[in-house]
Amino acid sequence: MVKHFDHVDVVIVGLGAGGGPAAKVLAEAGYSVVGFDKGPWLRNKEHYSGDELKFQNRSYLWPDVDLMPRTVRSDENSESRIFNFSPVPSAVGGGTTHMAGWTPRPRPSDFIMRSLHGDIDGASLADWPYRYEHLEPYLTKVEWSYGISGLDGAEPGAGFRSRPFPSGPLGPTKFGLKFYEGCRKLGINAMPLPMSHLTERNELGRKAVNRTSFWNQYGDPTETRSTVATTYIPDALATGNFEVRADSFVKEVTVGRDGKATGVIYIDENGVEHEQRARVVVLALGAIESARLMLMSKSPLFPDGLANESGLVGKNATFHEYLFAVGLFDKEVTPALNGFTGNYQSGGSMHFYETDESRGHLGGGIIATTQIGQPINPILPGKPIWGDAAKDADRDYFLHSMKIGMILQDLPQETNRVDLDPDVKDRWGMPVARITNKPHANDTAMSKWQIDKNVEILEAAGAVRTMPVYLGEEFTGNACHQHGTVRMGTDPAKSVLNEWAQAHSVENLFVLDGSGFATALGVNPTLTIMAHSWRAADYIASTYLKGRSERLVLDPLTGSN
Amino acid sequence: MTSKSEWMKLDLQIDPDTQERLFFSEHEWNTIEAAASRIIPTDHDPGAREARAVVFIDRYLSGIDYVYAAADGSGFLQLAGAEADAARARNNTMKKLYREGLVELDTIAGRLGAADFVSADAALQDAVLVEISGSPKPGHVRLDEHEVFYSRLQGNTDQGKSFFETLCFHVRQGFYSDPVYGGNKDQVGWKVIGFPGPASLKDTMDGTYTTAPYFAQEWDWHELLLSYNPPAGDR
Repeated sequence: MVKHFDHVDVVIVGLGAGGGPAAKVLAEAGYSVVGFDKGPWLRNKEHYSGDELKFQNRSYLWPDVDLMPRTVRSDENSESRIFNFSPVPSAVGGGTTHMAGWTPRPRPSDFIMRSLHGDIDGASLADWPYRYEHLEPYLTKVEWSYGISGLDGAEPGAGFRSRPFPSGPLGPTKFGLKFYEGCRKLGINAMPLPMSHLTERNELGRKAVNRTSFWNQYGDPTETRSTVATTYIPDALATGNFEVRADSFVKEVTVGRDGKATGVIYIDENGVEHEQRARVVVLALGAIESARLMLMSKSPLFPDGLANESGLVGKNATFHEYLFAVGLFDKEVTPALNGFTGNYQSGGSMHFYETDESRGHLGGGIIATTQIGQPINPILPGKPIWGDAAKDADRDYFLHSMKIGMILQDLPQETNRVDLDPDVKDRWGMPVARITNKPHANDTAMSKWQIDKNVEILEAAGAVRTMPVYLGEEFTGNACHQHGTVRMGTDPAKSVLNEWAQAHSVENLFVLDGSGFATALGVNPTLTIMAHSWRAADYIASTYLKGRSERLVLDPLTGSN
Repeated sequence: MTSKSEWMKLDLQIDPDTQERLFFSEHEWNTIEAAASRIIPTDHDPGAREARAVVFIDRYLSGIDYVYAAADGSGFLQLAGAEADAARARNNTMKKLYREGLVELDTIAGRLGAADFVSADAALQDAVLVEISGSPKPGHVRLDEHEVFYSRLQGNTDQGKSFFETLCFHVRQGFYSDPVYGGNKDQVGWKVIGFPGPASLKDTMDGTYTTAPYFAQEWDWHELLLSYNPPAGDR
């Protein structure tokens, strides 16, 4: 093993939505930072283009399931099987390299779900140890540095916003207009969702040229999409304080006799093991892999995994699920909807976000109409796969169908968790993450109610046939969202991290991805992960590394919350 | 260099009109072409035969040289390291699946009274495909049906499928993927369904190719959003 005894101030493991902002903030504050990613450092202008086969069918960006498998099972008593659960690109930039770019803000209610709803049978609802108002300044910083477009004043019920968007939204597609039409008939406020790309007239002076419609799950060669690899990584590198070590798999966080983290052990591209020491260790691998790395980091002081005295590391996992309804339109009557066009979403709504108990479930989620896809993989559930019927289905509906999806906000359950698979190993010989999960009755009820509502919107827009796609008996991880596995809270018996995403029992260990989220949010998590990371990195830079500590005291909730 | 970021480019181009076989025997090639012609048949529009799906599949099965086109389509990426090993193992599995599946097509055709699959007529070929698929020939999408579905993983690899499902999937890919992979000759697949695809992959990298004309051309947020423009009764 090659030992690097030159202490750096901070190592960051994982350079996606969580690691990127932390790298920027800490390097800009003058600290020496080394960032690791197990994947390669791909360059947008060199490696990406509109190749459907390569990105959608041959996993150029997705993790190779034979090299980095995961396993899933529905409960403790069932057999696990290998499955590419919640695949997020293994590359510098992580999920931000392929994501469509939905970047809606969370709502104030997201942070106080237990206060709002109390204890729910079978669920482990908890409040976050901070609130919307503590995150708001950082949401704004991200929107203005990363590059987010949106329409000011479009969302009734949104939380306070200290600054407008730096860019207006992309115009609607033709199927987007149908969505607005259906929503309007039903009294639903539809709007362009905030997205992590800019449009032509923006305040950041960045170009916005990608109208190829090769968007969701593609890398963007034009850099129109904001990604960590095209924003925060270059920002951090520009300071001279930051180094990227790509193709480097971190297998263990090391711990000293005083119980503090001392650094990491990693395997480089050539299979050589190294040790890198640091004053602070930041984990930002995504909620599945961060929990896995903590569980793999066993030591005499932490026999059950790093900072895992409570036994909670890996538990309370939430994954969202992407569900939708498809509508078919009569091509003799309806002009082409061009479902292949757009930068994925083309109109959405937060209308069903807040709890309305008359619906029969708690919570809610964001909905949006999104691209059907390109020619190889358009979404048409139950489509015939051969013969005249298959060819006619493409001719009739490729241009004449649309879908309306939702992000299912799943309730946290202690039994939905990540642990180490006892049998399956990855390419580095390490045990892979095993996911145990089963939907809560509230999840199933929300799926049914909302997808049926999406069907109504499609019908109001003129669809002649609709196809609902509900949550099944297990999550598939198809949203590629991960949270909750290293829960934040105020009580060390009921949580692993505090309000700065700092481990209760390992003061120089911070977990800056979705792992800390006490509840799942009803919106896509990326914007929140970035703001959450920035806020904690601010604390590391200006308080922890200055030898101080602070606690956040929350005011009692009042009726107006 | 084994990192994906450093993979070398091989200067390979696939001629869709080629008769040169890299994987299939002549009989296998003809059998795949015949089956592809039943999977996406030729009617008043071109089908899999005209798209040269067989060339696409032959190149893909030949090894790991044709897995990923270079971003600009000027050649193919040469996989290296662990990714190459994994791709090679998958390729070997796929070769075996095809070799065995092709024999089965002839076996079933023989049982149904033909010399082999290629020499069977279209109706008998369909009967073979029905048998190998284990399901009736798919009927048309109907507007008066109601069926519900459950969620699945986005994206779609060709791992873990039966021979027939794999073949249908590869024929579809050969009909609709970028022509750089040897199928979708002259973009015939795209033309059949009205997809205005790019002239080249390179055109998708620099703003040359745009689908903006297929977006809505006129809209007014103040008319679209209820929050901006409530219905008369709510003002």
